[in-house]
Amino acid sequence: MREVNAVVVENREIAEEIFALTFTCGEAVPVRAGQFCMIGVMGFPLRRPIAVCKAEGEHITVCYRLKGEGTRALSCVNAGEALSVLLPLGNGFFVAEEEKRIAVVGGGVGIFPLISLIREYEGKKEISAYMGFRNRDALCMEEEMARANHLTLASDDGSVGFHGTAVQAFVNDFNRAKPQAVFACGPTPMLRALKQATKDLGVPVYVSLEERMGCGLGACLVCVCNKTDGRHARVCKDGPVFEINEVEL
Amino acid sequence: MADLRVTLCGVELKNPVIPASGTFGFGREYDELYDISCLGGISTKGLTPEPRLGNPVPRIAESRGVILNAVGLQNPGVDSFIKNDLKWLKSKTRVVANVAGRTLEDYGEICKKLDGLVDFIELNISCPNVRSGGMALGIKPENVREVTALAKKNLKKTPLIVKLSPNVESIATNARAAEEGGADCISLINTLTGMAIDIEKRTPIIANNTGGVSGAGVKPVAVRMVYEASKAVTIPVIGMGGITCAEDAIEFLLAGATAVQVGTQNFTDPFACPKIIKGLNDWCDSRGVQRLSSLTGALRLN
Repeated sequence: MREVNAVVVENREIAEEIFALTFTCGEAVPVRAGQFCMIGVMGFPLRRPIAVCKAEGEHITVCYRLKGEGTRALSCVNAGEALSVLLPLGNGFFVAEEEKRIAVVGGGVGIFPLISLIREYEGKKEISAYMGFRNRDALCMEEEMARANHLTLASDDGSVGFHGTAVQAFVNDFNRAKPQAVFACGPTPMLRALKQATKDLGVPVYVSLEERMGCGLGACLVCVCNKTDGRHARVCKDGPVFEINEVEL
Repeated sequence: MADLRVTLCGVELKNPVIPASGTFGFGREYDELYDISCLGGISTKGLTPEPRLGNPVPRIAESRGVILNAVGLQNPGVDSFIKNDLKWLKSKTRVVANVAGRTLEDYGEICKKLDGLVDFIELNISCPNVRSGGMALGIKPENVREVTALAKKNLKKTPLIVKLSPNVESIATNARAAEEGGADCISLINTLTGMAIDIEKRTPIIANNTGGVSGAGVKPVAVRMVYEASKAVTIPVIGMGGITCAEDAIEFLLAGATAVQVGTQNFTDPFACPKIIKGLNDWCDSRGVQRLSSLTGALRLN
């Protein structure tokens, strides 16, 4: 992990209130699928933790939703401006050698770290992706998701793809896809539904969690999640990816 | 090169910059970014006799120029610290063991355990305590005196720092109470109690409802309190509260501090402490100040 004095290449709205920010690190930074970065926003004491969506040599793309003043200020940063970025952070997704067929289940801004997973394992694994959106206006990065061998889009209002949730789409397709591991990121209710839906399927499920963070380095113990063994784990350092039965959702 | 060394209670620090408790863990994570042996010392994550899980999340929120936190003293317990972290940390720099307790007896027990093992003990008296009916011991001067005296009784070798809460009637009175109780040094300010509200949900952002406010926005309050406290006591003072750069640290020194702690800025910039150390040296060099310690208390009031 290091601090990079990044330069913004592009920062634009790609769907309703969703921005894609691409910056150059000046040199290639190795980033694994599912890792994240902490981006400093001028005038704000806390950095914003955002998952890496694409890592292409020295260029990194992250996507974020306009959520509050910090992300709003970040959305106003222009190409050519400098950003302080800490990366790569967290453990990221890991697909075992023997897991030849995998499923990815994403919803909301959770689709973006999963795109990094699809990109990393494209051509190496048989990937079935199930991506949920609120509606057609929220749809973005379709060409990136389409790198998966099978892509099922889902929307809450049926305006795009399957009318229902990504988890329902995943369950419906399970017998065809026969995944040996499942990777998911999305809102907590989605992850809870996935936990319920997969409890008897006998496949490992890995989820990437989100939490408000302080340092992002594992020192301040701000971003903990509850583990099922009664202990706490740090989302930033021990995660953000956990085996689904390891954590309480 | 200016002389940045300072002496606190007879213990020499290579410079006056100490990361504040709770923002720096036991130093290991930051040591991945830079060699933490450059620091004057480290104030550890608050330690309790038993391991503590802390508060529910969210534990942090942001407001203009400040943050609020309510971590609730999550820590692995003092025994784990002694076994797993102390030796490594001592090989790096001066160790300030920040300690807290749920009962008065906790303070005695933990001080006894750490006596002679660390360079300083820093008493966190801003956490809720059974002795004062769930209120922090750091609020009433008689409680400050009592817990300080109890801690001091259990310390034969290690100097005692009492970390003062700013949420009090008179910081000077509480500073004196700590000195009367036997403190060798005081540090201030701990966080100011605050609240930030999510207006859409109509609930506080932090699960604990209230949290400790820290960061650049509290600095003028902190500088004033360091000034008042240092005038009220004869023991040395460690100043903190919103330090983001060397110039901020110098304000605290002028106000009466011998050393400083840096907290929130470690989140904004994980390299804040080494940058401040370098900045102190550069400032002294450019002003012809040979010994940084000569700045302590050098404030001239209008």
